[in-house]
Amino acid sequence: MNKPLLSSLLSLPLLISCATAPEPSVRYVDPGAQGTVQTTGIESQDIAMAAQKAAQSIVNIPQITKAPKPPVIIITPVSNRSSSPIDTDLYTTKLRGSLMQYANGKVQFLARDISSELNNKEQKLREKGAVAGASKDGTNRVGATYQYILTADLQGISTASSRGSSDYFLISFKLVDFQDILIWESQYEIKKEGRESGVYR
Amino acid sequence: MKPNPAIALPLSALCLLISCAGPGAPRSASGTRIDPIALSSAEQTVTQRNIPEELRADYIALYSQGRQNAVLHAMRAGLSALRIGRYDLAKETFDQAIREVEALQEGAEQAKRAKSKFVAEREKWFKGESHERSALYFYRGLIYLNDQDFGNAAACFKRSQIQDITADDQTGFSGDWYGSEIALALASYLNGFPSDADAARQRARTFQSKQGEVPWPSSQTNTLIVVEVGKGPIKYRGGRQGEQLRYSEELPATRQLRISSPAPHLKSAAAENLFFQAITRGDRQVDHILGDKASFKEDTGSATVGLAAGAIVASQVDRSGIAAGVLGLAAIGTAIASAASDPSADIREWDNLPHSIYLLSLNLPDPKTPVQIETLDAGGTVLNTYILADVTDTKKEKRLNIRFLRLKN
Repeated sequence: MNKPLLSSLLSLPLLISCATAPEPSVRYVDPGAQGTVQTTGIESQDIAMAAQKAAQSIVNIPQITKAPKPPVIIITPVSNRSSSPIDTDLYTTKLRGSLMQYANGKVQFLARDISSELNNKEQKLREKGAVAGASKDGTNRVGATYQYILTADLQGISTASSRGSSDYFLISFKLVDFQDILIWESQYEIKKEGRESGVYR
Repeated sequence: MKPNPAIALPLSALCLLISCAGPGAPRSASGTRIDPIALSSAEQTVTQRNIPEELRADYIALYSQGRQNAVLHAMRAGLSALRIGRYDLAKETFDQAIREVEALQEGAEQAKRAKSKFVAEREKWFKGESHERSALYFYRGLIYLNDQDFGNAAACFKRSQIQDITADDQTGFSGDWYGSEIALALASYLNGFPSDADAARQRARTFQSKQGEVPWPSSQTNTLIVVEVGKGPIKYRGGRQGEQLRYSEELPATRQLRISSPAPHLKSAAAENLFFQAITRGDRQVDHILGDKASFKEDTGSATVGLAAGAIVASQVDRSGIAAGVLGLAAIGTAIASAASDPSADIREWDNLPHSIYLLSLNLPDPKTPVQIETLDAGGTVLNTYILADVTDTKKEKRLNIRFLRLKN
């Protein structure tokens, strides 16, 4: 083998190591699909599936199906007792969205957290006659109340070793009436295990 | 004089390396060249986002050095942001680091590459050592506490402990962050789960990491003062080939804090000693990988010497030069392999961590009461006195007020 050829061949790996791999470009992915980032933590699709299951179950309980008119439910923020920090606002919104989608008009949801403050301000403006086309007496706004409270709790057990980690999550949904009677509960379990590369162990 | 091939070939390779890197090019924390376009873009982003002057360098590094160093710079930048009261930035930056830390890298190309004998460990995507990952969750938990989100705060303090378990610490030192249990107890009380707070206290009783008596929070705690003291564990390389990760300590003079006003006066040891956490991490899988790399470097280096000596002898005995040529080429090969292998341990570090963290849980009848804190040395002598005029957040009334105090020594 001639020297220039040998030199080039031996230098090839060094040239390759100098090149930087291109970063992947941005792409759209299905929010319900498993992410490419492998983690044992709770993910968006987990909460979506749990909310869907809860919604399908809740609309079939007698208190809902036999109610003379659609009962009003207030959803409390998701409570996190697991060992994974989560975006509770996002998960509460996702839960409400899924319930709205699957409830199909059989229940109504009270959105006091969203509207109450703004509606109260607007009522004051109406009372002052500061906005057009509204009654000035101010008695035409009566906020709705609810018949049921829907809660969602996230609990979990996490274990870890030098080889990787494991996370178990239990998402519990509870429907409680105004007399504090638990009338429905549904649970959704998730367990994930993951291995970490030896260079991080 | 003919050029010696044993010298000529590595020289050509060296020239290629230099032309690839460029002289004087800015380097990342892992030693790679920073793309000038990425650097310029990072500077623009920092300007557009109005990142405060004292945080600019950290955020330019974060935005310009890619995933290889993203967690490292996010940890540093997040803590710097927290210390100047930019909780919004700290939150966003720590969350970025957490996403990367939680992304498992088994089978990932970059992790496989880092195992190669010809790739330095510092080229892997940084995730930090166990004490750094635990600290990441610990600080994120404190921000959740400040936001009055006690559920997520508790989750972070539990996660901080899990990061310590994952490290496979020495027996008796696994999952023993005392400060995380104190903070978890506080978050649990405030979240209405006193049994969780009691469980945290029970677990902490057995920890060998305990630095001394620390007053525990209660359901009445309305103020938390977080005091960071000194400089965190410093990484350095040991072993014949620098393949061992070691830590040195800069022991701060402050060993205890005392609240001298208002009453009741209380004394507290550090809730957490990060140097202790760093040195009790135990055996790591990566230590074996680095050990293999070091052996390879030494073996190929020894082989080069043997083959070169053989080539010289052969050239004197065998006039045709074939044997000498073969041995010479083999010597070149082993020399290149030895030179190209890099067993050195990754010593990138979260360099603005403190040595110790104190957690002072107070129940102030009036949160606007000034709080006087004395630092004490090992003998109990007062070193300094600090006064926090007002621990409240002026914007709104909170169930729990948090103040951070950073002391160099």
